Amino acid sequence: MVETLKRLATGIEGLDALLKGGLVAGASYIVQGPPGAGKTILANQLACGHVRDGGRVLVATLLSESHERLFKYLSTLEFFDPALVGDQIQFVSAFDTLQDEGLEAVVRLLRQEIARQQASLLIVDGLLNARARAETSLDTKKFVAELQGHAAFAGCTVLLLTSARLDEGSPEHTMVDGVIELGEQLEGSRAVRHIQLRKTRGSGALSGVHECLINEAGLQVYPRLEALYSHPSNLGSDTLVRITTGVKALDEMLDGGLAEGSVSLLMGPSGAGKSSLGLGFLAAATPEAPALHFGFYEPPARLRLKAASLGYDFAEMERQGALRLSWQPTTEGLLDQVGARLLAQVQALGARRVVIDSLGAFGRLAFDQARLNGFFRALTGELRARGVSVMLTWEMRDLFGSEITSPAPDLSSIVDNLFLMRFVELDSQLRRVLSILKVRDSHYDPALHELAIGADGITLRNAFAGASGVLSGTAVPQGDR
Amino acid sequence: MNTILIVDDEYLIADILGFALEDEGFLVEKASNGRKALEALRDKRVDLVITDYMMPVLNGEELARAIRDELELVDLPVILMSGAQASQGRDSPGLFEAVFDKPFDMDRMIAKVRELLHT
Repeated sequence: MVETLKRLATGIEGLDALLKGGLVAGASYIVQGPPGAGKTILANQLACGHVRDGGRVLVATLLSESHERLFKYLSTLEFFDPALVGDQIQFVSAFDTLQDEGLEAVVRLLRQEIARQQASLLIVDGLLNARARAETSLDTKKFVAELQGHAAFAGCTVLLLTSARLDEGSPEHTMVDGVIELGEQLEGSRAVRHIQLRKTRGSGALSGVHECLINEAGLQVYPRLEALYSHPSNLGSDTLVRITTGVKALDEMLDGGLAEGSVSLLMGPSGAGKSSLGLGFLAAATPEAPALHFGFYEPPARLRLKAASLGYDFAEMERQGALRLSWQPTTEGLLDQVGARLLAQVQALGARRVVIDSLGAFGRLAFDQARLNGFFRALTGELRARGVSVMLTWEMRDLFGSEITSPAPDLSSIVDNLFLMRFVELDSQLRRVLSILKVRDSHYDPALHELAIGADGITLRNAFAGASGVLSGTAVPQGDR
Repeated sequence: MNTILIVDDEYLIADILGFALEDEGFLVEKASNGRKALEALRDKRVDLVITDYMMPVLNGEELARAIRDELELVDLPVILMSGAQASQGRDSPGLFEAVFDKPFDMDRMIAKVRELLHT
């Protein structure tokens, strides 16, 4: 039988996901990154979390920085509890010992202190100073090996913090079980923090670079969604259940409605009725099968007004627990942070239908546009796997014209159903037209329908029979040809 | 001339306090933990001890108890300077002549030292 390694949860949800459950208990890790990258915050957040899980922590510094100064900064972070210091978390300085007596004396001191403190987690800050004190790279290796040997013997997990960017061949890297690298890079005028697991011996991990941030709650890590959900969390249903779109005529065009757990994309220019169709979809929710509106543009108050103009009482639905309006200003957040938030809200609400307005807003959060296709695929794949019916909107650039831009290549892997909405001029009138381009595994009415939006809601009628060139934006009645 | 022993594993704090006390005309000795402080106390005559709480090997409270019990220096004044653990020092009446929260006001510390040494 395959053994599973005992884990020490970091208490940082995203980091535990990257580590597939946490640090390996009794193993040793280097946490590296330039000054300000968040190493100290990560280590202390982990220490406080470990104490809350019943552990004891020894923090030894090889630096000259004062502990009081550190506590002052940590006191601004929610995870830090000064009452733990001096009891479950001991801070000691080994700088003096390092300077006067060398590396062997530091190992001796820390071995004693691990036992004295009965520490299950040892954090050593300032590994670079150990290297500076070592006469040869063999001394550094010996220091790391002895330290982790003594710690492992006492069942103690070790974190070694360093501001040096140690490479794979460095003596420190070769000795430890894992390397966690923190960094920051400029994207335009914005600085983005990132985290990467560069080495995880004997343990699976989500590889690559992942975004993170530091706020009053401490370090937050957001695994790349396409890495986290490379395999959806379950396989979804194999029976076809139809659900209403909220618009009777559209249900008829779809041969009875949308497949439950399917993903539909509404494409069209601004004003073509995408949001209104989305509101109709939400209005069909019930307290037993609630809906989530995950929108980037219109705040809840405006959505309620817009819904009221279509005859829907969203405020009442919210009161009944049938609906949640979640507004995401696009100027805030990281791509994976917002993706994770969406999935968390779906989970918390038990949402059965979701409107994302719009897919394009995710693009504005992405620093690496090449990631978007994989991100969308993972996001919709996971929602589909959870049996959630999704309606996505995508705003096309041109108000008129025959050119249709797709939000992503390989669209079939992202969406099941594709709806196109356009403006068309016919008989000196501007009309909205809706057409179904694709419905996965179902028949549908391919005729172009006029979409009318009014106080009685949304209606569809077959108004373009006999006209041609409708999708070009300028329809020609049949008699004129 | 009075000799003051400063006990702190953080050498920077020991240095800054040491310089300030030397400027006031005191002789200063330093130790980086409680065990080394006890060794220094066995070797030299010291008139007052200023100690941190959280240190390797032997902490400030353990040092103060060892000064009273092992070395039987019942009249040697001991001042505790600590951040998070200052309250633990205040909870041990008779062990410390004074307790200072880090970061402390240097003038107040020097005034307390002068008061305890009657200088």
